[in-house]
Amino acid sequence: MNRITGKIVAIESNAYMSLVDVAAENVVFTATLLETPETVEYLKIGNLVTLLFKETEVALAKNLDGLISLRNRFSASVTHIDAGDILSAIALDFSGKKLVSVITTRAVLRLQLAVGDQVEALVKANEIALMAGHHDH
Amino acid sequence: MIQASLKKQLHGEQGEFQLALSLHVAQGEFVALFGPSGVGKTTLLRCLAGLEQPEQGSIKVRGDTWFDSSNRINLAPQQRQVGYMFQDYALFPNMTVYGNLAFALRKGADKKRVYDLLDMMDLGELQHRKPNTLSGGQKQRVALARALASEPSLLLLDEPFSALDAQIRVRMHDELLRLQKHFGLTAIIVSHDVGEVYKLASRVMLMQSGAIVQQGIPIEVFSAGQTTGKFRFTGEILAIEPMDILCSLTVLVGNQIVRVVAMPDEVAKLNVGDAVMLVSKAFNPMIIKL
Repeated sequence: MNRITGKIVAIESNAYMSLVDVAAENVVFTATLLETPETVEYLKIGNLVTLLFKETEVALAKNLDGLISLRNRFSASVTHIDAGDILSAIALDFSGKKLVSVITTRAVLRLQLAVGDQVEALVKANEIALMAGHHDH
Repeated sequence: MIQASLKKQLHGEQGEFQLALSLHVAQGEFVALFGPSGVGKTTLLRCLAGLEQPEQGSIKVRGDTWFDSSNRINLAPQQRQVGYMFQDYALFPNMTVYGNLAFALRKGADKKRVYDLLDMMDLGELQHRKPNTLSGGQKQRVALARALASEPSLLLLDEPFSALDAQIRVRMHDELLRLQKHFGLTAIIVSHDVGEVYKLASRVMLMQSGAIVQQGIPIEVFSAGQTTGKFRFTGEILAIEPMDILCSLTVLVGNQIVRVVAMPDEVAKLNVGDAVMLVSKAFNPMIIKL
């Protein structure tokens, strides 16, 4: 599980759900939650939270251009590639934090990924969960 | 129903500490005591049952005083109308199933209660058997029936199902809930099993070194400070297998077996038998009508 700790900077919610913006390492991440500040005590601007997302939900792009609906994109560099038959685990350095993306080995070949490459990591807002407090590695 | 406040010095593995707490349990309520070993959960049950004596405090049940240190009242266990069930069944080995239940009846009570309980718990066919011829699950059903034979107003359960395998445990939970509702019993269970607490208790009390540090409905207490994932289950790891660059975890959730994908570094901290929580966002699960 990938973990990034940050601070809540904005909350947009209706009666049922919220979009929570969390600033971490000069990037603002967004998580869609089926919670509201009324139902969860820690949903307050300024609070420390940890973003959680599964390795298999992190997509990678190179030379990404144009509009995209995804809320979460951030630059990272490839530090290691563990290539399996079908899937590969790509270790990423994101402002000094280690994150992992699991994509198909086919995609690794298509993107010609290599250690040292700059990539854009992409995560859908509804794939990110929040945990109150600091639970970084 | 129960109003207790008690103090007792305990000798734990980490030295001396004091059991010091107040307890209020409503009539018909099912409460769980949850916490690590050696924090005083069992001692609390034993004090309520009259098997141990607090140094200070009082225990009142339905207005009757069972214990009061200032007035030197201390009812004997058999005067307290308590049904007590332990992890080891503690059945009398030389008595039949019927004998074990009949022995627990109150003086002068109608034997019909034994037959009712044998009937309700489907033990009729086993009534002439001795405990050593029964399976673990059967013994525990007899132990539960025996705990109920004395028409208790309070049922105390000390990790009663922890020695049973998962499937039988689930059946015992259903049976216990059914009987607890049928007799309108007030029950207190000591448990280490989050799933068990969720299923049985309407309130959980977290205990730490002799004190109740937090209490509330189980879902709120257990999910405090945790993820906002809505799709959340606790389970037990049955198998961990490498799967190319990933790992596969086989987890028993309730009585269903599920497989989930994990990263090798996550798995490094896990062992077969560990309890884990599986969490997913509420957006992920797809729904298929059956």
